[in-house]
Amino acid sequence: MSAITSNYKKIKDLNPHESLSAGTSLCAGCGGLEGLRLALKELGDDVIICNAAGCMTLLSVYPFTPLRGSWLYTTMGGPVPAAQGVRDALDIRIQQGDMPESENLQVMVLAGDGSSNDMGMGPTSSAIHRKLDFIYFCYDNEAYGNTGFQLSAASPFGGATQTAPSTGLHPAGAELPKKDLFEIWRAQNPTYIATVSPREPIDLANKFAKAKLMKGPRLFICLSPCPTGWGFDPKETHLIAKLARDTGIFPLKEFFEGKVMHNKVPRKRVPVERYLERQKRFQHLFIPVRQEETLAQIQSRVDAYWSQYE
Amino acid sequence: MLRIRMHGRGGQGIKTAGQILGSAAFLAGFQAQDFPLYGAERRGAPVTSFTRVSPEPVLERGPIGIPDLLLIADATLLESVRPVPLNGADESTTIFINSSLAPETLQQYYQLPSLPVGLNLIPLCRHYLKKANLYSSALASVGARLMGSIDMGFLLEAVEIELEQQGLAEKQIEHNKELAQKVFESLTSVNLQERERTVIKAGSLALLEPRLAADSAPIILAAGNMALRKTGNWRVDRPEIDYKRCNQCLICYARCPEGAISVQESGSPEIDYEHCKGCMICAEECPGNVIQTVSETEDGS
Repeated sequence: MSAITSNYKKIKDLNPHESLSAGTSLCAGCGGLEGLRLALKELGDDVIICNAAGCMTLLSVYPFTPLRGSWLYTTMGGPVPAAQGVRDALDIRIQQGDMPESENLQVMVLAGDGSSNDMGMGPTSSAIHRKLDFIYFCYDNEAYGNTGFQLSAASPFGGATQTAPSTGLHPAGAELPKKDLFEIWRAQNPTYIATVSPREPIDLANKFAKAKLMKGPRLFICLSPCPTGWGFDPKETHLIAKLARDTGIFPLKEFFEGKVMHNKVPRKRVPVERYLERQKRFQHLFIPVRQEETLAQIQSRVDAYWSQYE
Repeated sequence: MLRIRMHGRGGQGIKTAGQILGSAAFLAGFQAQDFPLYGAERRGAPVTSFTRVSPEPVLERGPIGIPDLLLIADATLLESVRPVPLNGADESTTIFINSSLAPETLQQYYQLPSLPVGLNLIPLCRHYLKKANLYSSALASVGARLMGSIDMGFLLEAVEIELEQQGLAEKQIEHNKELAQKVFESLTSVNLQERERTVIKAGSLALLEPRLAADSAPIILAAGNMALRKTGNWRVDRPEIDYKRCNQCLICYARCPEGAISVQESGSPEIDYEHCKGCMICAEECPGNVIQTVSETEDGS
């Protein structure tokens, strides 16, 4: 990793250019939009986005687009096959001399956690296997947010969703743990994997600066606090993102050349309750009675994760 | 049958207001139907909700084009291009506007077809709910009161049922009921007129010729033209930078999801109010607390 060093140290170092214009219909305070905005600041305009159906469907509403680069809209399971087609078309045109190498584009899949963990996963696994040269940006808001926050495979244990509310029979809400997309990708040894947070623009920019120079499958999992679905005031998006890091619930990390490296590790982890109690989706863990066992399980899973590295 | 249409913005409780009013009418012995309408947009974007109330079974479906009672929770909508809250209203429509201004002023300013009923719900909501723009109970109460045929007891019961279903704590529900009662007692009922309906005939079927995808797919060739759409009217609160105290750390610029804060040549951040949706992240994140939160609706209109 020594050949690729971090360039950015402060906010003033970020690319001042906005590749994503204002005016979209996404929710005020959207954490995923902020993550995408910062990513595109680094990637620039020469990107073609293959967008799976999801919240980011709202980026472009005909006849308007916020992007200065290209955008191709696909079904929820289809962004990676679309990326394969686009990549092949670009490669062939360059190879045949129809298009100068200088006009080459970065192909990026933009998909939510539902697409990434559920219906889009099969084609994604195949594309990683074929070493498709693309960036995959997963905005992880931990549910099918666009349709009203239904359970996805990335919804966390103990959180309530539309389809997994807290009930007498199922007091915890979602009863299965979140799928580990990072580890699923890692099992196939792709070029690069990173988790990023909209709260950490410098860390995010440095990771994209590295990844854009690489070839092959590159995954970004972007923590995307969702005021609407998670149930918090939009102004607290970054506070929630900060707590996700400080509690150790969302580790910032990278995978490159066979190694996992953690960034911005909290020195002393804040109890997970501080993160949970601020969100309506976890309210049932505290009111009307504290669900001690569920809370303890959430904490112990976070502790178990970090004990592998401490 | 009375047809009631409510207008507000995502996050203001407009959908819930329609539900509470529908439930209240049902408890009072009427047949009722309620449902919201919103596009792909989100919190802050225009939301409409509909309630039909009748002693007979409600067989009519679909959005209400010709309302008997119009409840407008957010007067700024009257100045926006869409939706057109006054659509289908004429001199026989009773119009309520959440505003502190006198009915005559409102009628003149917004060119309303009839003299509206006005009441400023903002201080009431702030007093009872500690939130100035959460109108679910208040707006439902306005509707029930103006209709005159729903007793306050049924309204309060409906507030309890609907808010309990949404998982609100007992204390919050109690505050909502107090608010609904206060609003109910602040207004008097009006003589709502049910308008004659004309059946709109369907036009002839339009047949479209099949075309190649290259012609018929929605292809956008412009770059970044989304900025032509203004989202500034989503704002409930407005962030204002105190430049005298700003040290140009640019945290606000880095944290704004809309990219609505740019950096001027001088190094100062500048807010683009045409697009700022008022999420207030910048005010929350500013380390020096130099970004103030100013209410957009404080003074009614």
